Amino acid sequence: MLKNRRHEALIALTLVAPFVAIYGLVFIYPTIKMFILSFTDAPLIGDGEYVGFDNYTRLLRDRRFDTALWNTFYFVALSVVPGTFIAMAISLGINRLKGRLQAFVLALFFLPYILPVSVVFTIWDWTLNFQFGVAMHVFDLLGIDRVPVFKSSAWFMPAVALITVWWTCGFSILLFLAGLRAIPVEIYEAASLDNTSRWQVFRRITWPLLNPITALVMTIQLILQLKIFDQVYLFSTGGRMNDNLVLVLYVFQRAFQSNQGGRAAAVAVVLFLLVIIVSVLNFQLARLSGSRDR
Amino acid sequence: MSGLKGLAAGAALVAAVFSSTAHAEETVVWWDFLAGGDGVRMKQMIEDFNSAHAGEIKIDATTLEWGIPFYSKVQTSAAVGEAPDVMTYHASRIPLAVEQGILQKITSADWSAMGLSESDYAPATWSAVTVDDAQYAVPLDTHPIVLYYNKDILGEAGLLTDDGVPKGMGSREEFTDMLNSLKEAGVKFPLGSVTADGNFMFRTIYSLMGQQDGELMTDGEFLVGDNEKKLENALSVLQEWTNAGLQSTYTDYPATVALFTSGEASMMINGVWEVPTMVDLHKQGKLFEWGAVELPVIFDHPSTYADSHAFAIPANKGKEMSDAKRAAVLEVMSWISKNSLFWATAGHIPAYGPVTASADYKAMEPNATYSSLTENMIFDPKSPLAGIAGPIFDVMSTYFVPTLNGEMEPAEAVEEIKYELNDMD
Repeated sequence: MLKNRRHEALIALTLVAPFVAIYGLVFIYPTIKMFILSFTDAPLIGDGEYVGFDNYTRLLRDRRFDTALWNTFYFVALSVVPGTFIAMAISLGINRLKGRLQAFVLALFFLPYILPVSVVFTIWDWTLNFQFGVAMHVFDLLGIDRVPVFKSSAWFMPAVALITVWWTCGFSILLFLAGLRAIPVEIYEAASLDNTSRWQVFRRITWPLLNPITALVMTIQLILQLKIFDQVYLFSTGGRMNDNLVLVLYVFQRAFQSNQGGRAAAVAVVLFLLVIIVSVLNFQLARLSGSRDR
Repeated sequence: MSGLKGLAAGAALVAAVFSSTAHAEETVVWWDFLAGGDGVRMKQMIEDFNSAHAGEIKIDATTLEWGIPFYSKVQTSAAVGEAPDVMTYHASRIPLAVEQGILQKITSADWSAMGLSESDYAPATWSAVTVDDAQYAVPLDTHPIVLYYNKDILGEAGLLTDDGVPKGMGSREEFTDMLNSLKEAGVKFPLGSVTADGNFMFRTIYSLMGQQDGELMTDGEFLVGDNEKKLENALSVLQEWTNAGLQSTYTDYPATVALFTSGEASMMINGVWEVPTMVDLHKQGKLFEWGAVELPVIFDHPSTYADSHAFAIPANKGKEMSDAKRAAVLEVMSWISKNSLFWATAGHIPAYGPVTASADYKAMEPNATYSSLTENMIFDPKSPLAGIAGPIFDVMSTYFVPTLNGEMEPAEAVEEIKYELNDMD
């Protein structure tokens, strides 16, 4: 009996070993290195001297870090909540369609998601470029003043958030659709027998039963958007880079432009902790609100 | 019979093996960032080199994305021994590269092996590749910015001299008057300016500071003394043109070139690397008559910002370069430098003196018209913070864009720029 158990444990170990090894090599090890690096004055490549909490205390009076932190939260606020609810609304609509038409409309909404970010950038640059953008000619026709969307700090984040929602909401729609289909039809039938209004059906049945999916989508989006980099980098190249900083972009600037690996690592550690705290909080909140409904 | 044949074949094989070890063809791995019209010309030069050195040296060239992507890749690949044998490099990026230890010194033995020396280069160019009395690159060219102009439009407005160059180039008033007359003549944008790209505008603004003998960096500190005022003056002129509707606003780099080549902008300040674009378009009959001249003198005296493309040998970690390979790399750098007359068709001013002194070069247009500016060139401050896609660029760009488009007062921008530049470490 005892021998058997040991045997099983051995098999289990061999089965998980490849994953644990790879996970350790490409995730755990670099993460530990990042923490160690953040306490040194290392350049981008190579080791540095131990400097204690210097890199962290400097962040407190670093204006660019403030900008990056504020912009990251601003972007999350602009993209995560609206993105989730837009995806929910679209999936509710698609759910009413039937057969081929449904597949077709779903494909239309999903299409942007498969585009690489460089293509997304090019499409929107063609649309919103101040001198030659298609939208600007439409503005001219309507007699509206042209707007330098990506060159003004007021418009930049909202525009990039909108583009991000357009780009990524296809995946969230899929998740919501799966959730909607998992709701038993009987409940809706019972509701219609009671002559329940549409709003009541949504408020009392769809919304609470969709709650786990909403929490999931929200968490995925939150983690993803806290790590925003590509769109901001592409759209601000040559423009107001330091006004549009987000945390990952700041890590990149410190590491690759200023050759300060240690200080970049300190910013990365802050982001790492932020993502953990915020996502755990978000998930717990979602769970709490879920259990209240039950 | 068949035995004899086999023997002969074997002998031939042995001979081939021997000869190939004696005269092994050395492959030189080459990276550059030249993707525009100049890239096409560089590929031609590489082909010429390869055919001139058939069986001895072969360049295996790859073109990478200009700017941050190129320099990020070079840093990381040199650290793990995967960098090329030779690469193009901006002189302005050399101080940072030396601090990072990713470039090999070009020793005096190397210079004599290449048959090149300090006297072949302009002092400013030589100094741009020198850090602490050691050279880290072989200058290929200098590439300043110039003023492109549409001869058809300017001619019609009566703004050309008999030599076919613009009239109002001598002072701020003259130049602004010229822009105003063009506006009155119905030109949409008298001056096409890259106002959406502060990185690019750094070149123009730095030139305008140079025209007042301004310095960006003095002994490691930024905008000391009245240099602040000089930067403000430079920004004020450009903002004045924006406010008067004389230059294009929020225009990024490709859009600026498009505005000029389509005739909507009658003049444009841009790098000499756009010369091939104009030459090629003109040859296809798709472009008006055009010219390029040294920047106008807006302040006290002529001055133009320039950077230099140079060749550098990366310091590959844990991968020693063989003597034969190094000799081949030196031959590549030397041959291309000495044959850089063709490179001038890409608009750049060859760095190698004997080429620019040659009669062939002096007959080239529009190069000959603007080559006067070589005496008035200024380079980036020598700092690891400077250079293409460096931290200084980002700080400047962030404030240039709102200022040049009339959103922010020049004085406020200068104050912010000074604070951020000195806060960069």
